[in-house]
Amino acid sequence: MSGVFLEGIVKRYGSLSVVHGIDLEIKPREFVVLVGPSGCGKSTTLRMIAGLEEISDGTLRIGDRVMNRVAPKDRDVAMVFQNYALYPHLNVADNMAFGLRIRKTPKDEIAKSIEEVAQILGLTEYLERRPADLSGGQRQRVAMGRAIVRHPDVFLFDEPLSNLDAKLRTQMRAEIKRLHKRLGVTSIYVTHDQVEAMTLADRIVVMADGRIEQIGTPMDLFNNPVNTFVAGFIGSPPMNQFSAVIEEGQGGLVARANGTTIPLPALEELRGAAGRDVVVGIRPEHVHLGAEEGTSAIPIELDLIETLGSEALLHTHVGNETFVAKVETHGEIGHLQGVNALHVKPERVKLFDRETGRAIGRAA
Amino acid sequence: MANISNSPSDRSDGVIAGSAPSVGPTRPFAKRLDRIQMHLRREWQIYLMLAPTIIWFLLFLYRPMYGLQIAFKDYSVFLGFEGSPWVGFEHFQTLFQSDQFLRALKNTVIISSLTLVFGFPMPIILALMFNEILNETFKRTAQTIVYLPHFISSVIIAGIIITAFSPSAGIVNTVIGWFGVEPIYFLTKPEWFRPIFIGAGIWQEAGFQSIVFLAAIAGVNPSLYESAVVDGANRWQMMWKITIPCIMPTIIIMLIIRIGNLLEVGFEMIILLYQPATYQTADVINTFIYRQGLIGGQYDLAAAAGLFNAVVAFTLVMTANTISKRVSKTSLW
Amino acid sequence: MKNMNLYSRGDKIFVFANMVLIALFTVAALYPFIYIAALSFSSGFAAAAGKVVLTPIELTLAAYERVMSEPAFWNSYKNTFIYTFGGTLTSLLIVIPGAYALSRPQLWGRRFWNLLVAFTMWFHAGMIPFFLNMRDLGLLDSYFGIIIGFAVNAFNIILLRNFFESIPTSFEEAARMDGANEWQVLWKVFVPLSKPAIATITLFCIVARWNGFFWAMVLLTDEGKIPLQVYLRHTIAELSDDEEFSSTLLSAPYSVETVTAAIIVCSIIPVLLIYPWVQKYFNKGILLGGVKE
Repeated sequence: MSGVFLEGIVKRYGSLSVVHGIDLEIKPREFVVLVGPSGCGKSTTLRMIAGLEEISDGTLRIGDRVMNRVAPKDRDVAMVFQNYALYPHLNVADNMAFGLRIRKTPKDEIAKSIEEVAQILGLTEYLERRPADLSGGQRQRVAMGRAIVRHPDVFLFDEPLSNLDAKLRTQMRAEIKRLHKRLGVTSIYVTHDQVEAMTLADRIVVMADGRIEQIGTPMDLFNNPVNTFVAGFIGSPPMNQFSAVIEEGQGGLVARANGTTIPLPALEELRGAAGRDVVVGIRPEHVHLGAEEGTSAIPIELDLIETLGSEALLHTHVGNETFVAKVETHGEIGHLQGVNALHVKPERVKLFDRETGRAIGRAA
Repeated sequence: MANISNSPSDRSDGVIAGSAPSVGPTRPFAKRLDRIQMHLRREWQIYLMLAPTIIWFLLFLYRPMYGLQIAFKDYSVFLGFEGSPWVGFEHFQTLFQSDQFLRALKNTVIISSLTLVFGFPMPIILALMFNEILNETFKRTAQTIVYLPHFISSVIIAGIIITAFSPSAGIVNTVIGWFGVEPIYFLTKPEWFRPIFIGAGIWQEAGFQSIVFLAAIAGVNPSLYESAVVDGANRWQMMWKITIPCIMPTIIIMLIIRIGNLLEVGFEMIILLYQPATYQTADVINTFIYRQGLIGGQYDLAAAAGLFNAVVAFTLVMTANTISKRVSKTSLW
Repeated sequence: MKNMNLYSRGDKIFVFANMVLIALFTVAALYPFIYIAALSFSSGFAAAAGKVVLTPIELTLAAYERVMSEPAFWNSYKNTFIYTFGGTLTSLLIVIPGAYALSRPQLWGRRFWNLLVAFTMWFHAGMIPFFLNMRDLGLLDSYFGIIIGFAVNAFNIILLRNFFESIPTSFEEAARMDGANEWQVLWKVFVPLSKPAIATITLFCIVARWNGFFWAMVLLTDEGKIPLQVYLRHTIAELSDDEEFSSTLLSAPYSVETVTAAIIVCSIIPVLLIYPWVQKYFNKGILLGGVKE
């Protein structure tokens, strides 16, 4: 298995630049997810790795070969497309065999590979069917099977689950993860769905506007977003963010916003920061209904309760900022009705510079 | 898109062995050459695929355009294209002083206008009627039969007409005979040529042309009809208040296209049906060209008539195209 | 909408009247063929006397015997098959790769090449220069001339090009990643995916070739090379002029009309045989062509 190395990768269409210099090192066998809002350049980056888009500048290496000018077919990568691109005139077996036949693989070898892959993906009984006669999930599997039979060095996934309904998506997500464990092929996966990114990735690359915002493990991104963009993008519902000013309080520094005072963690970077304009970020999951040790209260006004089952979302507001909290229900929501304050631990409070949006310090 | 051709990369490590050496940005010409080389190396196959088509067009359609110069020459077989002397617009002057050509021009306009007036509404009416049929089997059978004449050659249709209108044995004379009318030798009567020709045209094409309108009708949002039913509209009202307004853009565009093709008279059929006795109403520009040029050997004069025809037709089509683009963009019914 | 109970009385009358009218139209479209068929099986005497209206009178195969006894008839039939199959095959071999190339975004000068093709739909040099060009290319009186000279037309290319352009790019990209080169992308992916469009232009070609008359008449002077349509035309013209033939009318079991009708029937039959396919695809094809341009 090979790693994939991007150095200063740029994509320009004429004078319009859409990817502004991506540096990324993907280790062999790693599962990396590129995530970001639409138009952030993640698909373009993937397509440059595939060889479907010309690389305007920078160097792409797979293993130790420079691939900039190598045709897609010679890169030893396989891709799963968003719309699967299954050939409607061929049955499942022939769809999977297509690439092998083009490469003049011996017949018995093709038959063996297909049988094997069909087994892995549970497609054995569908080999004779045409794509039109398959369900969405089955088509998705065939698309993966077509990539797997070639035993490529790298798998590329271009939003492969976005055409499935929510339930199937969850199921296929698990299946992709399982497959990756089993095959151990370096995988690069593009999605705009942060839940997919969180569940699948060894490492996530968050992109925006043709640049990488942050690279890290899912928990890393969740706990330590480097800026307000990542903070708002990763996690569902997103992190609550509101503007505040740092002030000197009784037990240390506090953030004052909308008449509320929020105690802050003791951070090296905050020394002498009184008067600084910041953005305060608090994850919906990081609030408590009752006071606990070390927590401080934020008075809120409750607007709406969204019941999810074991959890509920409290839509509230603090002053004129909305604030969402995710709390456990323990099977009932009666106790949520009169909530007028939420409690948060100082170390859970994230701070970002208001001007640059960059995170201030790193909490535990 | 799908290719990594002509990478403007300046990094030499971006080039695999065997491809052209990369060059610095200071040598634009060499860089351009590199781009072209890369492109051709990668994409030569599509140029090979394109070649037969382009060669065919150049050889069979563009080469004759070069040959059009004989319209301005006193063409002689012995001197050839190049050698024949220029005569400027002499042939055009001759044409516009020739009664025969002016008659052909007049007939062309009259015949195609009449075809438009009588032929254009028929397919629309047919489509609207087909749309009101509920029995699918009946509808499909009727459509199959009505489209059929389109696929029959003009020779056969002319043969059928000649047979059917034959003075001695034709069915038409038989039928009018039942009403005590004396047999008429229709195809020798100038006053009968246009009705027969235009009628045959409608018979042959109306069904087939209705396909476009049927497709437009099929594209009407069904919920419009459903809400009309709820509002208590009957079929007749729905046709006038929903179907026709909804397909109006298609009707207008088809009309513009037809006007653009006004000079396109089905001259094959005319050649098959006319005779000297009916020239006065039947002879159109293309039949004139055929007789003068291909039969009479007056290539230069006939080519001039053809060029005149082509230029007028081109102007009409271009105008129609422009109008149709404007209409199809802005018309909201 | 198809539930009759929803219809008012007025609607039912309207629908019924409409159906009757359509039936009349259908009969009008069909009747000439019935008439010709009836005529071809009637005796010359009955035909000449104008007795044939709907069914054969004095049933006989005499007209067909007369038609089929002519070697020239069979020869022209054979020629038509040569022009139809040779012409259609040539068309497809040129048009499919050409349309594919014109649909490729990476083709340099794509706009120019497309314009070069489309321009010929709007402007044509005309009959005379085309004829002289064929003459100068040495393509008069040759099978090859008829086959190649009419092999391509802009409409078919544009129709197919539009269809190719409508195929999602991911199919091409998938094939490319699977290692396919340009030819393989075309023949193994695009052509199978474009079956309806290709069937349409194939049938366009077949019908146009089968019915082709004018240029065959102009370009072919050798009686041995003429196609059926030209033979039919000659025969109709000859029969109606032929004094001798007319004078034998009373004694012969066929007449000008029945023989003409018999030839017409013979040349229509192949069209009728492929008509079910033609109908199926023309419906789609004419709409395909109408999507763009």
